[in-house]
Amino acid sequence: MDMSIEDYLSKGGVLTSPANVPPRYRGELMKLMAIFVDSELAGAAGFADVINAGPGIKERIAAARIVLEKTDHAEKVLRIMGEFGADTARYANHHPWTARLDRNADIGVNRSAHDMRLAVFNYPLQGWGDAVAMNLLMGRAVGVQLAEFQLVSYQPLAEAFRAIAPVESRHAELAEEGLERLISEGQGEALQASVAYWWPRVEGSFGQAESAKFESLRAMGLRRSTNAELRQRWQAEAQGALTRVGLERP
Amino acid sequence: MARFHDLTVTDVHKTIRDAVVVTLTPDDPEAFDFIQGQYLTFRRDFDGEELRRSYSICAGKPEGVLQVGIKRVEGGAFSTWANEELKVGDRVQALPPMGGFHTPLDPASARNYLGFAGGSGITPVLSIIKTTLAAEPQSSFTLVYANKGVNTIMFREELEDLKNLYMGRFNVIHILEADAQEIDLFTGLVTEEKCAELFKGWIDIESVDMTYICGPEPMMLGIAKALRDHGLSDAQIKFELFASAQPGRLKRKAVSQDAASAANQATISVSLDGSTRTVTVGKDVSVLDAALDNSIDAPYACKAGVCSTCRCRVLEGEVEMVTNHALEDYEVAKGYVLSCQSFPVTDRVVVDYDQ
Repeated sequence: MDMSIEDYLSKGGVLTSPANVPPRYRGELMKLMAIFVDSELAGAAGFADVINAGPGIKERIAAARIVLEKTDHAEKVLRIMGEFGADTARYANHHPWTARLDRNADIGVNRSAHDMRLAVFNYPLQGWGDAVAMNLLMGRAVGVQLAEFQLVSYQPLAEAFRAIAPVESRHAELAEEGLERLISEGQGEALQASVAYWWPRVEGSFGQAESAKFESLRAMGLRRSTNAELRQRWQAEAQGALTRVGLERP
Repeated sequence: MARFHDLTVTDVHKTIRDAVVVTLTPDDPEAFDFIQGQYLTFRRDFDGEELRRSYSICAGKPEGVLQVGIKRVEGGAFSTWANEELKVGDRVQALPPMGGFHTPLDPASARNYLGFAGGSGITPVLSIIKTTLAAEPQSSFTLVYANKGVNTIMFREELEDLKNLYMGRFNVIHILEADAQEIDLFTGLVTEEKCAELFKGWIDIESVDMTYICGPEPMMLGIAKALRDHGLSDAQIKFELFASAQPGRLKRKAVSQDAASAANQATISVSLDGSTRTVTVGKDVSVLDAALDNSIDAPYACKAGVCSTCRCRVLEGEVEMVTNHALEDYEVAKGYVLSCQSFPVTDRVVVDYDQ
């Protein structure tokens, strides 16, 4: 009846508490959670600045709600990191999450050395329309990522992602509604320029097509689809959303 | 960070030959207000080394007591001690209840639950059964309980009592590996195939709203596969991996022979994913950066000593950990360090990310 944890995981087994997690799995799981937490905190911090740029009260409410819920999602996952020993209070403040690089900084898809946010969250938003365009493209990317990560082999995290996914998907819907309104007000051209700016940056957040790590992550049950598969899914979904509001894929 | 609390043992009784049920009274009852299906983590010193072991609570919420079941594991220092030496009046230390092996209860709903337990995997499931049947008067629960033989069935009498108390709402199917039963289907292991057979006549799988599984790894895999094949979603399957998966006793850190020298260079031998590489770096470079600078894909996240993603174990030599907000004293005592905050002190350092 004896089965190693590695064998159990590679056959689709699920782990349930820090006590039964092997060391290498722990490292990769923590990294995955840190990427999510940092991206949510940085995303929320960047969006907070945009609330006041909302053209009306409804828009400001939508933006404030997105900031609130992304921060809440960061907390949900950070709490799980805390069960592994992370100092959650210090973690929440160990980095200035509002910090952004220059709009034209060329960092490719590399993360900064200081935190684990996806590279796309290092770029500054430029006004309301730009923020909505970014939110649509990134919202769709988060949707694709969460569909994948709801299946991770660490049950408490999979459950957190199952609770988070529908709320994040609503953020992308809010962005789509926002874009429709802006386009009806004649802002299509500026929005198309924003889409051209954000498309490659969001696309880059899916990582390299060939990842040497992928097989070991898959064996641990921390990944299922490859980066290339996830990127393709996003391309199709994001293109569909752009077409619906009357914009084009760059 | 969670901290240990003191509790007093108020009752110890055997449920089978090699398993005890321990009743505890916490000094701080509020800290131990558990949710059904959660576990307690105990700590105790054995020959100068701290061991931590987790055991599930077997009491139901309405019973108003804190009780854990501890089955003796071959060669397990803690479970052997609990079974042979623990007595009424002893003081023990435990962390507050933890674990997510539960779903929200709703007195108004009428749900059908299905539980699977293997051996001592019954402990959290028993807590769930008792609590759920009391809290949801219209819900029903079916338990499939796997054991070696009749005399290794933990809580056999309690389960019979529950059947009488909740007549028509609670049902147990005992599957015994070694002992023959009247019905052939109830003999053997609980495998994917066995589940498929059970779902044909004994269990109406289509009416099941939520399932709980706690047992050894191969059993959980087989059951989960069968449940998914019969249309249940991942959100309807709750797992609890039980104690057998806990890491065994840790070896002691090797005592370093070489003293620190004047040179400001160190060679660090880094093991990751089963392979080992040796790099030479200045002593002002952290162990993590030494690895990353040499294209070793060591895990890390915050680089500020707060998240513990970069944890590794020092097997030889000495490092200085300048900041630590994440590791506990007992981990540090075993040689674990945060590699992002650790700088070589001795000329030779050996670290392992796989331990």
